[in-house]
Amino acid sequence: MTCPIEKGKPELLAEFAAGELDMETASALEQHMAGCGVCRTRAAEHRAVWEVLDVWEAPPVSAEFDRRLYRRIEAEARPSWWERIVEPFRAMPLRQLVPLTATTCLLMVGVLLERPGLTVPATRHADTVRIDQVERTLDDMELLGELGDAQPAPRPHANVM
Amino acid sequence: MGVAAAALDYDAELMLRVKDGDSASFGQLLDKHRGSVVHFLYRLVGEQAVAEELAQEVFLRVYRSRGSYEPTAKFTTWLFRIATHLALNWLRDWRHERNQERLDDGPVDSPYRRIYDREPSIEQQLVYQVNLDQVRRAVAALPEKQRVAVLMHKYEEMEYTQIAKVLGCSESAVKSLLFRAYETLRARLAHVERS
Repeated sequence: MTCPIEKGKPELLAEFAAGELDMETASALEQHMAGCGVCRTRAAEHRAVWEVLDVWEAPPVSAEFDRRLYRRIEAEARPSWWERIVEPFRAMPLRQLVPLTATTCLLMVGVLLERPGLTVPATRHADTVRIDQVERTLDDMELLGELGDAQPAPRPHANVM
Repeated sequence: MGVAAAALDYDAELMLRVKDGDSASFGQLLDKHRGSVVHFLYRLVGEQAVAEELAQEVFLRVYRSRGSYEPTAKFTTWLFRIATHLALNWLRDWRHERNQERLDDGPVDSPYRRIYDREPSIEQQLVYQVNLDQVRRAVAALPEKQRVAVLMHKYEEMEYTQIAKVLGCSESAVKSLLFRAYETLRARLAHVERS
């Protein structure tokens, strides 16, 4: 085998260190390295890197991993509020679904149009009643005041004397 | 990989069963690939909590796609394509707020104890931590595609063809990516003492 470095194929040495070469190529390279110090050193360096990388072990997966995953899967499988509303109508034929939808829409429009008419006068009426009551109370208080002025309360000391 | 070839892939068979409503098969797929997906994501994003959250999203997407699943590729290729896509998006979104200083493995949680049979000495612990830190930094400093290729090749033991499919490039492009990555790592990690 010709020198991989001289041949411009130094990757063979990295592949050799990683155990990626087929038996035939690996054995030819080994024979070459027996007489080539440069290749031998380079291959040893790659082998050293390969071994140093082994230092980096990953920590174990947490025991909760599966439980958390299945909980998420279950949550996704659970129907949303909208799906729960729509579900009973899914099996319904289109012939029945169209009039039902149209009726629902009409009802909703009716409610929306009707609502302001119902609530606004009620509020106005309540306001009117409240103003009337206040005015009446003020009148009563004024009348009571006038009555109080006309008939002064008897003096307690005069009765004692 | 065509449909016929994918039929040989047991994972694809399991996924087809999930498609038919067999949730136990989804459990089997989860058991088989949970570890590799989380570990791959951990090394890519650098935080265990984020890696697990992203892995949850990966498996959720797999489950959501069960109805439309067609075995046009090896199952793991599809799985890692989703994982890579999610992780790279996460890294792009959060890059401005993150740096590799936040890699969250402290000495307490590190897998150090699994490496040594006996209780390690203080010196050994320090050497280990320094080496680990250098390895993480060296890998994290690689360009995005090279980093993904190294993680899949070195840690997930994926073949060139599969890495090529995940990354959407040719096999020779993957070989070239890996060679450049390992050359960079060789230069950066040459001084690292092996434990």
